[in-house]
Amino acid sequence: MRNQANPWITSNLPLLGLAMLPAIILIGALVYFTVWAFTFSFTDLALVGRKSVEWSWVGFENFERLFTRRGFLESLWTTIIFVFFSAIVGQSVLGFLLATALRGTSSTLKTVVEVCIMLGWLLPDIVAAFLWSATTSQTGLINALIVVPLGFRPVNFINEFALPVVTIANIWKGTAWSYLLFSAALDSVSREVVEAAKIDGATPFQRTWLVVLPIIRPHIATNMLFITIWTFTYFPLIFAMTGGGPGRQTETLAVFLYNQSFSRGNLGFGSAISVAMLLIVGALSLIYLRMLREPK
Amino acid sequence: MLKRTLLSSVTAITLLAAAAVPAKAEVTFMYAEWLASLVEPGITAFEAETGEKVNAIKLPGAGYDQRIALDLSAGTAADVIQMDSFMVSELASAGYLHPLNDQAAGWDQYQYYMPGLLEVASYDGKVYALPTDTDVRMLWYDKSNFEKAGIPVPWEPKSWADVLDAAQKLKDAGVQYPFQLPAGTKQGEAATMQGFYMALLGADVPEGDRNRLLNRATGQWIGDSPALRRTLDLYHQVYVEKKLTPADLNYAADIGAAVREALANDQLGILASGSWEDACLWDCNGVNLPSREERDAMVGWTPWPGSGEPGTKATTNISGGWTIGVNAKAADKDLAFKLVTTIFDVGNFKAWTLANHRMGVRTDISESPEYMEDAYLAKATALAADTTGRDTVPGYQTVSALVQQMTADILDGQSVEDVIAGYHAALVDEFGEEKVMTYE
Repeated sequence: MRNQANPWITSNLPLLGLAMLPAIILIGALVYFTVWAFTFSFTDLALVGRKSVEWSWVGFENFERLFTRRGFLESLWTTIIFVFFSAIVGQSVLGFLLATALRGTSSTLKTVVEVCIMLGWLLPDIVAAFLWSATTSQTGLINALIVVPLGFRPVNFINEFALPVVTIANIWKGTAWSYLLFSAALDSVSREVVEAAKIDGATPFQRTWLVVLPIIRPHIATNMLFITIWTFTYFPLIFAMTGGGPGRQTETLAVFLYNQSFSRGNLGFGSAISVAMLLIVGALSLIYLRMLREPK
Repeated sequence: MLKRTLLSSVTAITLLAAAAVPAKAEVTFMYAEWLASLVEPGITAFEAETGEKVNAIKLPGAGYDQRIALDLSAGTAADVIQMDSFMVSELASAGYLHPLNDQAAGWDQYQYYMPGLLEVASYDGKVYALPTDTDVRMLWYDKSNFEKAGIPVPWEPKSWADVLDAAQKLKDAGVQYPFQLPAGTKQGEAATMQGFYMALLGADVPEGDRNRLLNRATGQWIGDSPALRRTLDLYHQVYVEKKLTPADLNYAADIGAAVREALANDQLGILASGSWEDACLWDCNGVNLPSREERDAMVGWTPWPGSGEPGTKATTNISGGWTIGVNAKAADKDLAFKLVTTIFDVGNFKAWTLANHRMGVRTDISESPEYMEDAYLAKATALAADTTGRDTVPGYQTVSALVQQMTADILDGQSVEDVIAGYHAALVDEFGEEKVMTYE
């Protein structure tokens, strides 16, 4: 390759440096923020006040507090539940089931369902949050349309079942991505292979479990990787719907990080939380990347 | 050939980039949406008078404090900024704000500002912002629901027990939100001031600041005290033990709108809030307000009673308010201050204060006949005779966030004992052992 390039370009170091500049700036910006968070996680830097200018090093104090003070471990647990049920079980499984069911159906039905799924995805988070709040409140749509006409007392869903409600809202919001990815993946499975299995006497379950799933395994891993990272750090929908409450019921790590950094104003502690989040998401990504490898 | 093309492209791009940079500076201004009716006529007048352009950045009220603090610390805030008075000393201590004394000395209307209110917006003897209004806090109540629950109106509770008793009656009468006592982290400062601090002030005797968050004589934050425990117990009774009100209004997508909707749907019993609600229960900018008579028929208010413990105050009150100040990084500070004074020019400022029933911060307004003849303002001002301010020393914002977290933990079903222990530990983390004290 190098030999084919114009010798004037390859021998002109300043020009090469100039051409590399955008990439260096981009990578530099990405690294800068990570290094910033990592560095300040060892300080008592505050958002406002004296400690915002005269901060000092505190060693591993912030990291110790992740475990000795109330908040982090609870939020981690809330986040795990939220990610597991809304992303892995909800979006992924639902997306796969929809993609399987709609494969080979008439195009009109498919279009209608696809548009419906996409609407949730296309709606801005804040609009979706208002919509779900209105739907699940005491005087909301579900109560007015279902609960009260059936003769039950209205239930304040968003107050009494806050975590399930935000989980369902996020499934509704994010299933489109998994659906699209799995639809494309299923299209890549050749019909011959599936038909051959059918002729060999495989049941529909066996055909899916033993033939289709192994073929689309890399797609499943990619999907898991993406939606786990997104959902783990997801903020707007939950914050707008409940602000982490009632109490701490829906305080995921992202909401906890926001409250500690910007309401309490402790950027050092907030940085420690974000470093911990980075490590957890990094570890999860490694697991998924291993899944992407072909089995021996 | 290639070289020439490359060079000319680079030159063209550089020229384009240079042309994209604005040639002329303008004054930028950040304010909350609910203050539009005060600042927007001021902006128009400023632009007409000076010929300069104001880049007005109108922000939603939710999360406003965090946004201002973050923008100032990141160096991206506007030249002129509206901010809650409690933040001024903290922001000034970090060097984010520009002291106004010299410029204000040359402004003929500066003399009318009440010294006590300028004090709140000061740090190290310098004034860093000018107040827009002050306020008092009280318990608002829905008269129709009180009638439904068989509680006589006007309602005059004498202790927390009376308030809880009324809330229980409202609950029994089927009112959805019998006692909306602000709690949790989502509404920020509102939970601390409208709820927690109002109760705290009446929870113990005032001597030695036993009924406060800060011992002002020693400068120590109070990490444990009977007053804190009693106040947390009040929250525990309202939200957990007696389940007098569901928590969801504190966490709604738009809390202000949710409260207004609850009132409009006759779902609200008692609301712990402040004097601005005379307009804000319908619209903070005063658009389509019901008439005085209609409002009086719908809602009433009463001072917050003390707890009823021996020696505590009969009624409590704490005042805050908002301010407008100038960024230390403002390019043209004289122009920025000119915008401030245009907004606060007596014509505009007085009209807004009266129309929205805000409590005046200047004697030329509060001693005017129109102000003194207003029945609502007269009653609210009487309440201000016995008021106090927040502990507006640096660190208050952090303590306030920790207080909000305490109320959230109570909602979560934590015991008062555990919540206090967590609060004390967090105070020590933030300020050090020697800056935290306890009362037996």
